[in-house]
Amino acid sequence: MDDLPIEKIAISGPTLASLIQRFYTSPGPIDGLLYGHVSLLTPSTLSDDTSSSSSSLPSTSTSTSLPPISSSSQTLIATITSFLSLSAGHVNPLLLPPPPPSSSLLGWFSARRRSPLRPSLREFSFSHSLSSLPSLSFPILSSRSSLSPCIFLLLSSPIHDQTIHTHEYRAYQFRSSLLSFDPKSIEVINIGPAFRSHYGAFSPNSPFPSLPCDHSSSMAVDEKKEEEERLRAEQTQLDDCAEGFQVKRLSKLMGNEAANYSAGLEDLYGKMLVKIETLARQVEQSSALVFEQENHNRKLKYKAARFTGSE
Amino acid sequence: MTSDGVPSIIAAQLNYLLSHFPLSVKIEHLWSGSKFSTGVIDRFTIVIPYCLDFIKWDFIYNSESPISAPDVIFGAEDENFLSFLARNDGVEGNANSAKNCLSDWNGKDPTRLMVLLQQLRDQYMNYQRKRVDEVDDDRLKFEVSTIAFREGIEMHLSSGAEKPEEVKFAVPLTEMNIDKMVHGCPWRHSPKIYLQVIYPVGRKYVSASSAPRLKLLSTSDLKSIFSIEDFKLPPWLDGMCMAEYLPHLEESLEKQILEAVSLIDVRRRFIESLAPLFGRPLEADPIFCRKATFLAGSGAFTFLVHFSISTQFPKQQPGLMLQSSQHMNSHGVPAKSPLITEYPWSPRWETSVMAEKIL
Repeated sequence: MDDLPIEKIAISGPTLASLIQRFYTSPGPIDGLLYGHVSLLTPSTLSDDTSSSSSSLPSTSTSTSLPPISSSSQTLIATITSFLSLSAGHVNPLLLPPPPPSSSLLGWFSARRRSPLRPSLREFSFSHSLSSLPSLSFPILSSRSSLSPCIFLLLSSPIHDQTIHTHEYRAYQFRSSLLSFDPKSIEVINIGPAFRSHYGAFSPNSPFPSLPCDHSSSMAVDEKKEEEERLRAEQTQLDDCAEGFQVKRLSKLMGNEAANYSAGLEDLYGKMLVKIETLARQVEQSSALVFEQENHNRKLKYKAARFTGSE
Repeated sequence: MTSDGVPSIIAAQLNYLLSHFPLSVKIEHLWSGSKFSTGVIDRFTIVIPYCLDFIKWDFIYNSESPISAPDVIFGAEDENFLSFLARNDGVEGNANSAKNCLSDWNGKDPTRLMVLLQQLRDQYMNYQRKRVDEVDDDRLKFEVSTIAFREGIEMHLSSGAEKPEEVKFAVPLTEMNIDKMVHGCPWRHSPKIYLQVIYPVGRKYVSASSAPRLKLLSTSDLKSIFSIEDFKLPPWLDGMCMAEYLPHLEESLEKQILEAVSLIDVRRRFIESLAPLFGRPLEADPIFCRKATFLAGSGAFTFLVHFSISTQFPKQQPGLMLQSSQHMNSHGVPAKSPLITEYPWSPRWETSVMAEKIL
């Protein structure tokens, strides 16, 4: 397990926003796991072709093969794509849930209200044990090196009341060779030309299911059968979403008849949106119920605490 | 201290800490980290005396679960203390480590917070010792090697961006149990006297044998019998080291303290010899004999005489203040005279003569 320094930590705007939202709405401090990937940063020389036509100079794109493992010039960038939050003190480094598909456990976060924005004793110890478990180390994309879950994100709010509510956060890399936290800059990634360099490091975390296509293969019969079964299962899942809209119809979107079929496709999108909306409403209603129940529980808890206190 | 809003489980630990910790810690700032009720206090800053200075650590409990172990955030200037703790816990594997204390936390045991604080402070002492050991300065290395065995010695390496680095030592002096020497002494602990020694670090051009900055300090109890400001530090001779300086200092300090203790009896005799002239004192300090109040009269006018006797008595004459018991000023406070010190006095007189002359 190498202890390579990370250049910076990137997090997508929506992920950070939902992390802060999760912290803001939770009754107490929370802990959680951060998922994503670490890749080698390739400086991109490509840029948007903003000039209308004339300049058609071919830009020199550097083709990158597998880079050397321990070159001193490599810049690592960690991208946080998702997180899982739990109430504080309930994360056990030996019993971690498996990371979501095509991402690795990068590290963890701790969010505690109204406290100094410095790693605490507990946070230090937890990062230390997380990065010292060899079973948790993961490969760096397009490189042969690996890294342990060393990212730590600390969230807090100011100790003193302020008119404007501020969320504070700071990111660190735990360096197990030095036994210390190394502060790192966080880059919040959004969509737009300013974030072009990240497109190169993009890796989708919900890949599109493979579609059946006829190809004369030389596969063995058994393998072919398994493959067919798998594809059939995926096809039924996809059909569920498509609501009878067949892929073949997509081909009709091209050419003269396109106008007739685009209406059908819009209809499909409309139905999907309605579905999502109902789902969102259900979530909203159930979380309102959960919130009410939590409030009730809290009142009972305080009452109980006062009762035992007065004994 | 129990301020309102501290959950009872945490309050019990705090109270135990304040009443049982061998050093006088202070709770400087209490606040709430709760989302819903900001009246529930679950965070506070503890100010801990260290090396004649203070360290401030934030203790963060969780009001949603007050039974859980607290978390500790150390000072911003001590960021390497965490690494030190991690290294030491790993090496020694000792059962008394702060980590073990936190992992088998029992919130219902009121002693826990104090035990945790004691362990962390002990570790902090080792941490500062290690930092001082790592300073590349020959003179300092020599000083540390010759006096580190002294019990209770504390060291601190202070380094700031603007300030030059310096190493501070707090050396406890004399093993005299002063409280045992004073009859009926009300002190909880024997007063402590420390010599603060400050060495600047890494200033090679400064003459290597020049004296460090020295200051004598004591706990406040000692004031009633001995004023530490009146003690003159023996001179630091060129080329001296602490191991040479300290025995000499301790010897003369002990001599002066013994003398100060014997002076209590001189003061007592003085108060006693006032009695035949003024009558029985209305009130007198029976332990340190620093204060006495008598009733006096001049014709029909009767008034109180307050004697305040300094630790320098009989070299320094007592201060007198007269106070009327009948005449009030416009605020309804009894009229008082300013402090009177101009009256016939000689420290060589017998106490009875002193008393007569005052009258």
